[in-house]
Amino acid sequence: MSLNGRIPNGAAQATEVPSVSVIGINFGNSFASIAVLTKEGLAECIANEDGERQIACAISFHGEETYIGNEAKQQLVKNSANTIIGFRNLLGKKFSELPKDRPTSSAPVIQHPDFPDTPAYKVQVLQPAPSPLSPAASALTTKTNTPAASQVATPRSEPIPAERVLTPADVTTVFLRSLLQSAEAFLGKDVYGAVITTPGWFAPAQLDALHEAAEAAGIRVLQLLEDAGAAALCAAANASGVEQSAAVGPDRTQLVVDLGASSLSLSLLAVRQGLFHHLTPATHHPDVGGDAIDDRLLKFFAKDFTKKTGVPLKVAPASEGPDARAEARLRLALLHTKRTIAASVAGAGGSAATCAVESLKDGLDYTGSVNRLRFDMEATPIYGVVVTRVGELLKRAGLDWICVDEVVYAGGSACLPGLDAALAVHLHEDALTPFITGTVAGGGIGDPTTVLARGAALQARLLVGIGVSSEDERIRKAFERGSELVSVKATARTIGVLFPTASGEGEDGLGGQWIGGMQAETVVPARRTYALEVELGEGAEGVEKKIGLEVWEVREGVTIEKVKAPKEEEDGEDVEEEEEIERKEKRIWKEALLGTLTVGVKSKERRVEVQVQFLVEAVGKLQVSAYQTGNRDTKTVLVI
Amino acid sequence: MGDIITLPVVSLPQQTDRKSEPSQANTISPFVERKLIPVGPAYLAHVRRVVHDLSFEEHDKHVEEEEKRRRNLEREADDEDDLGVGDEEETEDVLSLDPKEWKKQDHYAVLGLSHLRYRATPEQIKIAHRKKVLKHHPDKKAGAVGNSNDDAFFKCIQKANDVLTHPEKRRQFDSVDPYYDLLEADVPTTQQVTKAKNPNSAFFKLFAPVFEREARFSRKKPVPLLGEYSDSKEVVETFYDFWYNFDSWRSFEYLDKEVNEGSDNRDDKRYTEKKNKTERARRKKEDTARLRAIVDVALSADPRIKRIKQEEKETREAKRKNKSGPGGGPSKAQTEEEKRRIEEEDKAKEEAEKVAKAEAKKAKAAAANAAKKARRVARAEAGEVP
Repeated sequence: MSLNGRIPNGAAQATEVPSVSVIGINFGNSFASIAVLTKEGLAECIANEDGERQIACAISFHGEETYIGNEAKQQLVKNSANTIIGFRNLLGKKFSELPKDRPTSSAPVIQHPDFPDTPAYKVQVLQPAPSPLSPAASALTTKTNTPAASQVATPRSEPIPAERVLTPADVTTVFLRSLLQSAEAFLGKDVYGAVITTPGWFAPAQLDALHEAAEAAGIRVLQLLEDAGAAALCAAANASGVEQSAAVGPDRTQLVVDLGASSLSLSLLAVRQGLFHHLTPATHHPDVGGDAIDDRLLKFFAKDFTKKTGVPLKVAPASEGPDARAEARLRLALLHTKRTIAASVAGAGGSAATCAVESLKDGLDYTGSVNRLRFDMEATPIYGVVVTRVGELLKRAGLDWICVDEVVYAGGSACLPGLDAALAVHLHEDALTPFITGTVAGGGIGDPTTVLARGAALQARLLVGIGVSSEDERIRKAFERGSELVSVKATARTIGVLFPTASGEGEDGLGGQWIGGMQAETVVPARRTYALEVELGEGAEGVEKKIGLEVWEVREGVTIEKVKAPKEEEDGEDVEEEEEIERKEKRIWKEALLGTLTVGVKSKERRVEVQVQFLVEAVGKLQVSAYQTGNRDTKTVLVI
Repeated sequence: MGDIITLPVVSLPQQTDRKSEPSQANTISPFVERKLIPVGPAYLAHVRRVVHDLSFEEHDKHVEEEEKRRRNLEREADDEDDLGVGDEEETEDVLSLDPKEWKKQDHYAVLGLSHLRYRATPEQIKIAHRKKVLKHHPDKKAGAVGNSNDDAFFKCIQKANDVLTHPEKRRQFDSVDPYYDLLEADVPTTQQVTKAKNPNSAFFKLFAPVFEREARFSRKKPVPLLGEYSDSKEVVETFYDFWYNFDSWRSFEYLDKEVNEGSDNRDDKRYTEKKNKTERARRKKEDTARLRAIVDVALSADPRIKRIKQEEKETREAKRKNKSGPGGGPSKAQTEEEKRRIEEEDKAKEEAEKVAKAEAKKAKAAAANAAKKARRVARAEAGEVP
């Protein structure tokens, strides 16, 4: 994950680990995670005091106690009326904007009694009774003839039941403060600041509300970072450490699939040497998510329970008391089941995940198991929805499935290997996913549950590394919301060079060897340098040889051809009719010749290295230069 | 140069004289508007270029400088870090030490601090120990060829650390540091100085390290060191004064004989303890005598003393000459000098008298003794006769 090696676009990124400690916080609607920077400069997701890396966004009030995180979630079973979940999405929203008809298994959202049009939660708590008067205070009143007060302390009276009304911002502040405390306990020192991830669809009002809540929790907010950006940054940081396959260069199209518990967010990013931008606006689907998978699994296990015990159990949605409680219990147990499935090795059919609940209903225990195949069967409809949504997104961007070079997963439900399998059917076979590179398992660098927090931590390090001068202040401003520096221009067409062959033949009928130098959607100003080894023909020593190249602007696209499926010899009898399968291929079509270049090369070797540099300036000027490596005298430049 | 993307071999037929076609377009397609996600080092670089209005080449230069500066910083930080310890090569002798014989090992050599010895600070010892442990921990040797259970040297390291991190134990070890044994035995003599070609410089060359070495035992700090030839009388006097009244913390508990282990006999124990105590006292006495001898030799060979005496003599001569010289009445300084001389003479006389008195006393005592002896002899003879 180190950024030491290759620095995209010649970025001045000194990888000094800053002397102050910063953290990255992934603040989701259902789960949050914290990442810190290690001594080696890596970002690492840390566990809180309960040993949880995935900290449930839940707060529960029980008597005098306040529970935060996963133990608060346990309270959903018996104390659901005083347990608050899903509060992040309510931040900065008006009460009238909220959908009313949603069934809830936690504290209901009400209209705040004091502020107009503000959502709030009402919880029952026990307030500690006011302490009895101290002897010193009471001594003042015994100046007269009344007998002196007894020195024995008056026994503390019982705590008083009270009602507390909390706004989502209040709840967020309490929750974020607990995250900060966990991080400080882990680091052993104060946290200077944090980068907090936010969904891309958050409105400015919501971002403001989150910012305020975080500041109130004592967190210096370095940046509110879009989820997709955090995921992409973390993935890019990974890629510079991992050997890149030929298919995935520094310029690539990246699909970010953020499948959390409660929603799905899809972003299609153009990654151009470390610069990220959306090819099409990201989409957000609150109807798809891990909870939908949960609902189906709940039904599956409830049916199993009924079959095993004969006790009817109606879940998702549950109607009345015992069933609702049973559902809550089962839902908590499912978390474990899903994690087991996610951790299972793909293809190992025998591995089954258990789901065990004590006293599920009517005092009856339940133990069941589900294997990968069965699980995927239950989850397929949700996977199907995800695939459809991705398809829609790609269509809007005018791209085909096979144009996606890399997939980055984020969010707890994206850990499920079945999802990757469902997407991989459509993707190009060279496309990289964390499952293919094997970086998901065992908390690897592509782990979807931690990728956001780690990306945020890396960003936090970057931000504190900026100096303090007035010019640096301007640079810092560029990371704030609404900075005009994010508005940039990008190239519309791919520009590259063609090494024409004498015979005019070549792949795809282009008439030579094609090197795509400056891809479409590259943010300008941009520079790309390619080093090519060129094989020269036989020639006399000392004679200058010439390499000619043409600079072209091209159009990219996909051809689809229907081919007959190759007949399988062994079980030929089973296949009655020949199936047609689509074969998709990336292709380019020449659009316009921009000019030609000739490099004179003097070399005894049969192979020489030639460097071709593309430079596109912000004003629209293109400069292509080619020269023999290490010999700038041979440089020839084409300026358009 | 930014990032260079290396592509696989392009096999090309030779391009000789290809007619270039006319360009079909003189500009590239118009740009499209995009919104960047403000994240990552590349965005920072992009912003830097925009804000400072840099071209790629200028930015490259800037990055290079930045990188250089960072490396320098890092190097400095590194230097501070290890305080220059722990990189010493271990010799075969050191590696084959027996932890059971830890009393005989050179703890500084074990931790790779033999170039520092008593000068090593606690931090340096800590770092050196950590480095050695990292290198020689038995866990590291698991699976290696040979005896993987061989943690003898690791034990030696731990023992050395135990001794050197405990102030009292370290003092005791420093007192008898085996490294200095040979050096202490080799004390320069007067002959070495006088026989040298240039006795003046030879004296300082020979004795300066000796005093420097001995200075570490001093309780009082700072310790006046030998100095140089041109030192004034006062400096030389303070030097010898200090070294004749040297207050040493050196002690010899480290060489104590172990009380026979397993023996519950307290008489045995007491006996050993007593022996150790006397042994320690004896060694301490010897050490004091040794140092005194060194200072004596130094004093007798010190060219500065000769110089000072010479100078004093000269001033006296000059004074006398002045006095007897023509025309010059006794100036105030001269009278004072005179006074002092008289005083000194008086003192000398007094001392002489004292000595004479003492001698007389001694003679008297001797006489009395002799008389006693004679009486005894006479009595004995008388006793024998009857």
